[in-house]
Amino acid sequence: MSDWDIAIKRGVEHNVPRVFNVLREHPYLEELARKVREGKLEVLSNLDYYIEMTMKSVEKIGGKAYFAENSQQAREIVGKIVGTGKRVVLGKSMVAYETGIRKYLQSLGNEVWETDLGELLIQLADEPPSHIIAPAVHMTRERIRELIKEKLGVDPGDKHEDIVKVAREFLRQKFLTADIGITGANAVAADSGSIVLVENEGNIRMSSVVPPVHISITGVEKILPNLEYALYEALVQAAYAGLYPPTYINVTSGPSSTGDVEQKRVSPAHGPKEFHLILVDNGRRKANEDSILREALLCIRCGRCHFHCPVYRALDGKWGDPPYSGPMGAMWSAIVYNDYKPALLCSHAGNCREVCPMKINIPKVLEYLKWKYFNGR
Amino acid sequence: MINIEQLNFIRKTVTKYLMEDYLPFPVNKETCYEWANGLNIKKGGSTILYTGCSYQLAELGKKFDEILPLLPKFKSIEKFSPLAKIFLKPKNERVNKILRNVASILRKAEVDFGYLYEEEPYSGTILLELGMLDEFREYAKKLVNFFNSHEVKKIITVDPHTHYTLFRIKEMLDWNVDIVNYFQLLKNVKIKGEGTYVFHDSCLYSRFLGMRDLIREVIVSSGIILKENELVTGKETSMCCGSPLAPINKEISEKIAKTRAEALKSVSSKVLLACPFCYANLSPYVESYDFAEVVKVE
Repeated sequence: MSDWDIAIKRGVEHNVPRVFNVLREHPYLEELARKVREGKLEVLSNLDYYIEMTMKSVEKIGGKAYFAENSQQAREIVGKIVGTGKRVVLGKSMVAYETGIRKYLQSLGNEVWETDLGELLIQLADEPPSHIIAPAVHMTRERIRELIKEKLGVDPGDKHEDIVKVAREFLRQKFLTADIGITGANAVAADSGSIVLVENEGNIRMSSVVPPVHISITGVEKILPNLEYALYEALVQAAYAGLYPPTYINVTSGPSSTGDVEQKRVSPAHGPKEFHLILVDNGRRKANEDSILREALLCIRCGRCHFHCPVYRALDGKWGDPPYSGPMGAMWSAIVYNDYKPALLCSHAGNCREVCPMKINIPKVLEYLKWKYFNGR
Repeated sequence: MINIEQLNFIRKTVTKYLMEDYLPFPVNKETCYEWANGLNIKKGGSTILYTGCSYQLAELGKKFDEILPLLPKFKSIEKFSPLAKIFLKPKNERVNKILRNVASILRKAEVDFGYLYEEEPYSGTILLELGMLDEFREYAKKLVNFFNSHEVKKIITVDPHTHYTLFRIKEMLDWNVDIVNYFQLLKNVKIKGEGTYVFHDSCLYSRFLGMRDLIREVIVSSGIILKENELVTGKETSMCCGSPLAPINKEISEKIAKTRAEALKSVSSKVLLACPFCYANLSPYVESYDFAEVVKVE
């Protein structure tokens, strides 16, 4: 068996039964998933209106909001905020990867560190991610041990716990001395301008609270009508990703603030003094105009479809254009990179549709993308 | 990973053969209907048993997938098609037995049906499954006209790909026909089977056509013991056999088949299935049987 075959087998054996158990033990999650779909459809049916509402809400709570038409604009906006010669810590963000933020900031002379363990391994190996939420799922722990030994000069040993310990010690010093923290957003609440992030490691908390500046970069499809729906999204994402309850859910509404002096709300307090939200289009609004492709915008990036897909499991994590892999990645490669070719590899097994919390008819979308490919659309 | 030249070759040649001859590649038509010889099934009628030549062509299709990467390089390949239509007639006694058994089961269930013999067309499923939807729609129109001209009102299918394809044609075009699968007609017939198997679900039957439970009921009521494992045979976890990917990438298709076979073997050494393409892809790696070859009517 190849390294990939060993790694994906272990990943599937850990993840698949765990998600089934989570859903059995907490049956309300299916209802929450239904509500999230409903909320996302509401936003998509009036996307420009909700983008505008979100940006106004962010400004209202003391943050700055930006709209980026494409990757280049997103990079320029981030570059202007960060500048040069800074230390930047990144919480895992698909949109940051999509728009090439890490390498761009490095090219401006900044020191940039991924802080999600999987993403840090990807950075150290200089490889594309192989799964939407478990980017290093293609690496066995044996390979990870060698990688850390080679890149960080420390032999962590063979145990999962010891590997995590070495990464923790390495990253802690980066968090505490960072000038800028950049994260994505699992959901953005249009009514309050809050972003919601769900995580387990604690790196997102550190990235979004310790540095004096917090930048959140995310796609416009992450907007939900209000904070209630945005919080549901975090719960649903965590459950269908298999880590429930999530260790942390973070809500960020503008820069840090306090109301402790005569109840007047002032900013900043102990956390960041600046908060910036960048909403990225990069093909999403165009996809939203297409009644079939719109479905793909409902994806909450839980990565469950990957583990149930025979094609993803047979390939070596390289199905789709990074960071978008697997069945959802075959859809998203079309949305953000205009690449319809990955869809051709769908074997229409249908497992992805069965397990998708958003009930996206992924095989139908991929059949449509195949048709678009053959017709040069 | 994806050979576009190969896909374009399929698109062009399969469409051409279908439009000319109702079969996806040149083959002696007797291959498709010889199973019915001697059974005295009437020709045509408002209700027909429709094989779509799926069982008959599945093994040949697998061989076609093997040589597919070479075919686009032969510019004059089409010159050989008249010869192939006469001489290409693979022997397939196993398939003939399966189809004869299906017909016997239906007769026992007192279903009145006819068969189209040499006129029976292929469903067009390969075009649909590869996403060549414009070509599929064009062929589907021809197919609907064909069935209408034969005054067919009800079609009994025997495999999941043909069944699903006909449903999709109904969805796309205005076609007044009743489509039923033979499993759906077995309520009133006693079928006898024995042995212990793990069932490999066809993706289409299980997840697209809602027949997962029905098929299991039919199998279990025959006396066959099915072994299950939530992580191998569950609706969300039972994997594709890899066959639909063979025309695109044979290596990926075979890797999926091997992985699936290993998973099935972990549940039971003998695999039962109900799809000719699953059989073609899985049987090199695990002891496989079609449902219709292991049961008898009482």
